[in-house]
Amino acid sequence: MKRLIISSILIFSIASFSVALAEDDKLSGEVSATGTLTSVGGNKAKFNEYRDVRDGVYGDVKLKYESEQNYVDLNAQDMGYDTQRYSIRGGMWGDFKFDLNYDELPHNITYDAKTFYSGAGSANLTYPTHPPSTDTNTWNTFDYSTKRKNLSGGFQVDTLKPFFFDVSASSEKKAGIYPLGVAGTTPGGIDIELPAPIDYRTDSVNMAAGYIRNPLRLSLGYTYGSFSNSNLNLNFRNPATANTASATDTFTMPPDNHYYKVNLLGSLRLPYNSKLDMKLATGSSKSDANLLTSYVADVPGGLRNIALSKPNFNGQIDSRNLAMSLTSKPFTFLDGRLFVKYDETENKSDQITITDPTQSPSAFTNPLFDYRKVKIGGELGFRLPAKFYLNTTYSYGTINRKRDDIPENRDYTYGAELKWKGLDFMAARIGYERLDRKADFNTPGGGTSDIEYFIRRFDAARKYQDTYKASLDFFLMENLNFSLGYRYKETNYPDTTLGLTGERHDEFYVDADYLIGEWIRLFAFFDYERIRQDQFQRQTASTVDPTLPPTSTSFNWTAFQKDESYGYTIGADIFIIKGKLTLRLQHSYLESNGSVDYTYLLGGNPLPAGRTQDNIDISNLDDYKLRYYLIKLTYNVTKDSSVAVGYAYEKYIYDDAQYNGYQYVPGTSGTNGAYLTGAYSDPSYESHVVFVTVSYRF
Amino acid sequence: MKKNRTLLLAFLFLLSLVIPSVVISLRDAGSNDGYVGAETCRGCHKDRYESYLISNHAKKAIPGSPANKYACETCHGPGMAHVQKGGGRGTGMFSFVNQPDADQKSSRCLSCHQDSRAISFWNMSRHKVNGISCDKCHSIHSGMTKNLRAREPALCSACHLSIRAQLNKQSHHPLKEGLMKCTQCHAQHGEFGSKMIKADTVNELCYKCHAEKRGPFMWQHPPVEENCLTCHVPHGSNHTKLLTSRPPLLCQKCHDATQHPGNICTNFETFKGSAISGKNRMFARGCLNCHSNIHGGMGPSTRGQHFVR
Repeated sequence: MKRLIISSILIFSIASFSVALAEDDKLSGEVSATGTLTSVGGNKAKFNEYRDVRDGVYGDVKLKYESEQNYVDLNAQDMGYDTQRYSIRGGMWGDFKFDLNYDELPHNITYDAKTFYSGAGSANLTYPTHPPSTDTNTWNTFDYSTKRKNLSGGFQVDTLKPFFFDVSASSEKKAGIYPLGVAGTTPGGIDIELPAPIDYRTDSVNMAAGYIRNPLRLSLGYTYGSFSNSNLNLNFRNPATANTASATDTFTMPPDNHYYKVNLLGSLRLPYNSKLDMKLATGSSKSDANLLTSYVADVPGGLRNIALSKPNFNGQIDSRNLAMSLTSKPFTFLDGRLFVKYDETENKSDQITITDPTQSPSAFTNPLFDYRKVKIGGELGFRLPAKFYLNTTYSYGTINRKRDDIPENRDYTYGAELKWKGLDFMAARIGYERLDRKADFNTPGGGTSDIEYFIRRFDAARKYQDTYKASLDFFLMENLNFSLGYRYKETNYPDTTLGLTGERHDEFYVDADYLIGEWIRLFAFFDYERIRQDQFQRQTASTVDPTLPPTSTSFNWTAFQKDESYGYTIGADIFIIKGKLTLRLQHSYLESNGSVDYTYLLGGNPLPAGRTQDNIDISNLDDYKLRYYLIKLTYNVTKDSSVAVGYAYEKYIYDDAQYNGYQYVPGTSGTNGAYLTGAYSDPSYESHVVFVTVSYRF
Repeated sequence: MKKNRTLLLAFLFLLSLVIPSVVISLRDAGSNDGYVGAETCRGCHKDRYESYLISNHAKKAIPGSPANKYACETCHGPGMAHVQKGGGRGTGMFSFVNQPDADQKSSRCLSCHQDSRAISFWNMSRHKVNGISCDKCHSIHSGMTKNLRAREPALCSACHLSIRAQLNKQSHHPLKEGLMKCTQCHAQHGEFGSKMIKADTVNELCYKCHAEKRGPFMWQHPPVEENCLTCHVPHGSNHTKLLTSRPPLLCQKCHDATQHPGNICTNFETFKGSAISGKNRMFARGCLNCHSNIHGGMGPSTRGQHFVR
């Protein structure tokens, strides 16, 4: 299929160029080839997470044809590699445009993963004898990796101006193996990592037609999308159940779905330098699935039957959106905007009542979630004396959602930003924004005997959020730019007893670029970020009230998580022979340090055996360091040809408490047990890449 | 009858708004006094003239292009006074380099491009509000696609420095690898919603590429349905899958209950830890070791309800 697509594109492009060349017009282009030699130690999948760097020759071709009437551009990149991309763009000036594209996008996760299952990547995972072997040397190896192959195209008609018509379509296939985890039994028990198949196809079509000529724009758009999954269920033999030989367990995969949306867009220019814009949209997404009437359990026959009020599920969520905006700049010193935004989903999916005698209550129904969001607001900008500019904003929003705990929010947001460009060599900016979110909490019927009474989920909880930002841009000399900025965001959840109680986010960055004479361009940037998230939680088997004195089994605890990261790049372009020979030297460094400071709030009760308030902490949570060096020499042999040689070194070191000491089978039963496959483990790598690029322009 | 009269009044009101705009636009068509022609410009500004020639602005086949108007002077204004004074600054030419007012610069471009559907909503663009003019990203004289000054994401990250830092993090969308573009998600010329995303909601945007997450599912996870950004960041994270923090801590922000969700998982629950139970809630992918269908599912009974099937 891929060859067919590539061949089609090439034949089409050659035909286009042939026709074009017959008119004896301008043809230009560039052909380049890059040869690489690589040496990668460690995790090759992480090194090539979104790329395909390996020994070989990469070819890029750009062809551009232009005549007085029409044009065609062909681009081919990384031909034959996992990141190959091809595109043809063309058209007749002022009449129509077209484009046809094919590209591939790999996502490599883990190579040489291991599983005791046969059929990794298929919808049926099994193993010959129970229990499965825990000797990983006998296991099957496979790669966790997916690849998207996307074919798309579009056509825009302008020949009937001021009327226009656009159509585009795409078809994407995604295939590979992806790690999924399941609980062997539930509640409790082991977990099992499954090499699951990814075999998706997503198609979409977009159309828009309308009229656009000052002062009016009106257009109607239509989008249709469909998603199909070749594997709606993943069947696997479950090593956690005694009846594993007689019953196959099933994991439900994403269902097929389709989606459409219609939108009406309008704009009208008004007097006083004003403009009214409007968007009205309605859409619907639908899915369907045949439901399972049993599940695997430790019962005779291995299957526990359940009763369903309906054997299949038909999902439908409709959406309606309205957005209106009035912008105006009636005076040179004043501009403003008023806006309304309304987004609504309506869940019309089936509600299925499931009867499972082992559950309490035995009959239960899937709740249907949907929401309605309204936001209105405005901003006013004032051009003040001495080259100050003040922008003020205010908005009020409500969210109504079908959710038991917090069904409604009211958001009040206001802010101001002051900019100053009073000096030729400097621009400054300071800003502040405050979000005050009010939340209606449904007090549970059980009062303080229900833990829900104390929980406020952060996505909807009452909160105050303050954001401060400042930046300075210097243009000290014609060839020297220097920028620095700082942003601080603090969020507090005043009503939260259990859950996320606060967040702090600091961000600082510097960027500089300096051209010294005509010989050296120096560039550098540095960024620093620190995120702190505080949680107050309760571990309990019975007593849920966190205000009660702690016992050894019912107590509160806190976790202060910190993510600190910084990175910098320094480099220089040295123009050894101006326009002829250039040397680039570059070094980048990135470091992340994550930690969690835990505290048991046990009062006078002792901590569990062996634990202290210090040795429970985690000092390495997604810690990593990335070092990168590049040296590249480019020689322009002639005006149209160049040669570049270079060397790149990259070292990535990952250190994480949750992956260090990785075990494929840490246990075969209980909540310490698991059958893992190595997904995401040990991604550290070190690489050396030598490359030579030869380019020719014509 | 009363309804008809209301409609008529509304129509007349709209007409009264439209007519002045049309009159103004016709009036702005202007006269052609003071123009000297591109050949005159070429005499002194040969490099700029040649770069103009390779740009789309020099295409006569494009209706309304500068090539069909006053060439260089379409954008830079009539050059007669400039020529008569022997050139140099302060001679009445419009310079995009020296003009500090972003609106004035952009209005030069919009005088021709305002009927382009790609920039219909420039008036709503955060770029406009923040004083960014067209020439910050586009070069009038460039031969690159869309006359851009650089490729994405370098073009965008030159100003969006904090986003650049995020794109460099270990978990990121493949922008720096050149396999995605900022403009796949953001409408750089303006949109109705916040962050100028190319969709009515965040989830609608994400589903364009992650259609398997669209459902609709029988078992929904409400925060997921409402906003993907409850758990994910869009540009880059230290945590795999662009998560805002690491499971189980991420999940425990919301899930504290009398069973295992509320249990403290510490250094003792890692692979190297000596805990006697509950470790598989902490090591490797934490909660996701079991709850893989966290975006929603169709599983049976409580297995489906708790996203483990």
